[in-house]
Amino acid sequence: MEALEMYTTDDRTDVYTEELKLNLGPQHPSTHGVLRVELKMDGEIITGSRSDIGYLHRCAEKIGENVTYLQFTPYTDRMDYLASMNNNLAWSLTVEKLLGVEAPERAQWLRMICAELNRIASHLIAFGTYGIDIGANTPFFYAFRERESIMELLERPSGARMLYNYIQPGGVRRDVDENWVDDVLAFCDVFERRWAEYNTLLTNNLIFIKRTANIGIVTKEMVFDNGAGGPVMRGSGIKWDLRRDVPYLKPYDEVEFDVPVGEGTHGTLGDCWDRYWVRMREMMESIRIIRQGCKAMPGGEVMEKGMKKMYKTPLKPAPGEAYVRCENPRGELGFYVVSEGGTSPIRCRARGPSFCNLSMLDSLLPGTMLADAVAIIGSLDIVLGEVDR
Amino acid sequence: MNEQQLHQKLRATGLAGIGELDESACDPFVVVEGDSLVEVCTFLRDDSETRMEMCHNVTATEREGSIEVAYHLCSYEHHHSLTLKVLLPKPEGDLTDWHPSVPSIAGVYTSANWHEREQWDLLGVRFSDHPDHRRILLPEEWIGHPLRKDYVYPSSHGGIPLELDAVPLYERDETTEETPSEPRPAGTPLNQPPSEPSKRPHAGGKAPPAPEKKAPKAKKEGDA
Repeated sequence: MEALEMYTTDDRTDVYTEELKLNLGPQHPSTHGVLRVELKMDGEIITGSRSDIGYLHRCAEKIGENVTYLQFTPYTDRMDYLASMNNNLAWSLTVEKLLGVEAPERAQWLRMICAELNRIASHLIAFGTYGIDIGANTPFFYAFRERESIMELLERPSGARMLYNYIQPGGVRRDVDENWVDDVLAFCDVFERRWAEYNTLLTNNLIFIKRTANIGIVTKEMVFDNGAGGPVMRGSGIKWDLRRDVPYLKPYDEVEFDVPVGEGTHGTLGDCWDRYWVRMREMMESIRIIRQGCKAMPGGEVMEKGMKKMYKTPLKPAPGEAYVRCENPRGELGFYVVSEGGTSPIRCRARGPSFCNLSMLDSLLPGTMLADAVAIIGSLDIVLGEVDR
Repeated sequence: MNEQQLHQKLRATGLAGIGELDESACDPFVVVEGDSLVEVCTFLRDDSETRMEMCHNVTATEREGSIEVAYHLCSYEHHHSLTLKVLLPKPEGDLTDWHPSVPSIAGVYTSANWHEREQWDLLGVRFSDHPDHRRILLPEEWIGHPLRKDYVYPSSHGGIPLELDAVPLYERDETTEETPSEPRPAGTPLNQPPSEPSKRPHAGGKAPPAPEKKAPKAKKEGDA
């Protein structure tokens, strides 16, 4: 009886409490790679967090200063390994800007179609793994089924399934085979039906909405202050897409597509569900772009004639510097390259979108529950290969 | 606004330390004195005509005579962008302990926080008044800043030897296996610590067939 009273009285001064330090990661499935977060916990509530990155640092920028411009293209594959085409594209555009050349028209359309296919594959991973983070295992297998078809489509021109090295300075490495465009269009038809399945599986699932709505709210001020981009930015209601606003490839100007933004459907604007839903709708916009691209793609060369000599003698851009931003699946990828006229750059800086999105985590976590931390990390959709480079 | 108009707008504010617009490179940039950097950034962010809401990137670059820190600012309202640069001239003499300093703009743009930490980590540029001035990618105990041009590669880290001069497996000559010249003396402990990588039989070139050829190997070790 005495013991029972001890637990029912309000002033439990004899209960010993202390702040708990908890390590999340670096080897944990929900950290999407090797991210370590030091959490300070008050019971289940997070009171402070400090992220520790660098476990996957592979000195990409140092390597870039020691290899030629063409040789660095495969290294860009390995930064954001889920969106290699988009990385190749950003690097090629930067080198082309330094050289003052432009890819032939057919190459530009091919670049756009491949980059959009890769965007869908990347968002499918985000969709599938986010389900696993929250506790839904099935969507992952559905997502990998469609990703497999995309990898097969991209394997045909590039010869690789994940790290393509297909888009190169001056154009693309080789032309696609004659049935490729038809197969891409057939995939688009299949994917549209499958996309509806995803929504019944996960998007409108009540448990999923309860786990993600009103969690991890990113305000517009936070987006600009922390330099976030991509679905994280658009999930907070900012209608901005480099493809539409600053078209870095000509075809983006000629195709029609919408920029989906978060609307706070199930809770507050800028919560995890909004970011998730932006990604889902972006997949359908990519399908729209691919369809128009397949119809409008002209014939012709796929590699600038003067650039073909780069396979024998290294490129030597004139002294100068160029900064190019591209819309990657995770946000804005920037390459800043400084040339002093040699065969390799003297500075080769990559500004990864995951890096900037992740820097927001420490201000998002305090005040949330530990289980929500996993949902927040998953909704930022980081790739540690790009955070650490 | 394009870069010229932005530069004129900056000049019109009367802030000190705003240099010329350099258009000789592929992307134009404005050279700014380090002391007025924070004021310039605050102006560019808050003025209604410039509205540079985001600091996209911070990059330090080592050149022949100086280290440059480039800031890529961009506006989402007006769709324009501007590159600011702070030049830090190199002093004479040994540069290994030279850590030039720039005021941190992490108070103006939070996104600069991690970018500046990365530049400190890789190039050894100090950012004064930075809220969290630590290394970010490399371990805290790392010596040196790897993106410096005079950086010396370490031969080991944390007791783990880094085999920089190791010969790739496919180039090694495995046929001439060196037989131990004399048997192990009695009483030698079995768990000998690993030898230095450069002293291993196959490191640094083909395995020497005879012991008298060891002399040039030692010379190579001295170079490394």
